[in-house]
Amino acid sequence: MPDWQKLVREHLSGLGLDDTDREEVHAELAAHLEESYEALLVEGVPEPEAVRRTLAQVADWKELQLKIHFARIRKDMMTNRVTQLWLPGLLTFALSTGLEALVQKFGPRPIVLDLDKGTPVLMFYTSWLLMLPLAGALGAYLSKRAGGSVRMVLASSIFPVLPFGVVFLIAIPVGLVINHNLAHHIVTAAYLSMSVGWVIAPGAALLAGGLLVQLFLSHRQASRGVASH
Amino acid sequence: MIGSVIKRGTAELAVLSVLQDGPLHGYELARRIEQQTNGALRFTLAALYPMLYRMEQQRWIRGTWETSANGRRRRCYRLTPAGKKKLSPLQREWAELFRALQRLTKAAHA
Repeated sequence: MPDWQKLVREHLSGLGLDDTDREEVHAELAAHLEESYEALLVEGVPEPEAVRRTLAQVADWKELQLKIHFARIRKDMMTNRVTQLWLPGLLTFALSTGLEALVQKFGPRPIVLDLDKGTPVLMFYTSWLLMLPLAGALGAYLSKRAGGSVRMVLASSIFPVLPFGVVFLIAIPVGLVINHNLAHHIVTAAYLSMSVGWVIAPGAALLAGGLLVQLFLSHRQASRGVASH
Repeated sequence: MIGSVIKRGTAELAVLSVLQDGPLHGYELARRIEQQTNGALRFTLAALYPMLYRMEQQRWIRGTWETSANGRRRRCYRLTPAGKKKLSPLQREWAELFRALQRLTKAAHA
């Protein structure tokens, strides 16, 4: 009788799951093959033919490996994305918005940027910008704690500016192309100053906090790794 | 040729329906489906397990390792409350589809 465990393990050695999960899949599939084979023998099928028919259940092991991989990791991917990006990102967003509201109500007067004729286009809350690294650090910490990659950690920290970034990068230039009625030099100046005020400056502040946490936690992890060896 | 959505739908219905009677491990599940459909539905290992794992991720079924009387360890699947909830509308949808197809066939022969 073939060693079904060995056979499955050889064919599905590249299954991208953690060790326990992979072993479980190997054991389950091997048990299925073994039972199929034994049932054929009981029916009176000669051994070589029983082996052939049992093996014929899998035409392409690579394809099966891929299908099992995607079937089993789907939930993990979803869960990871929620805990490593959406949750920390939304908390960062809530904190930065809350801080902005507090600064607007109780903080010092903002720096006002204006264009020609003194039309205010942007109010810079410097105290808010100085507090934003805290929000970025919180997002990065939560994402990192949930096992987020560097990309996820940094995306969580700058999460509050991402919607504005998308609007400024796509919607406004498209609007400019479509609408020819506005003087382009005014709109371009407004676009640039708003991008700085809503995306670049707060994004840099958030990212600074996120980067510090990322560096600190990576360094701590590395030190622990060295210490444990 | 039957489309993959229909194939998947019927396969899921078959698994959920059979598990309604009680927990089964993969091989027994495939055998029971084949018996109950007089061989019309057959699952090879390659078709069965990706589907079972997918249905498990959707929380329609739950697999647990159990040791049988002969000492063999098998992963047994049972229907979850979510699976039971999914089964009724699925059965209704398929029954409606088959009735509609029957009406269509009768009309074509009339």
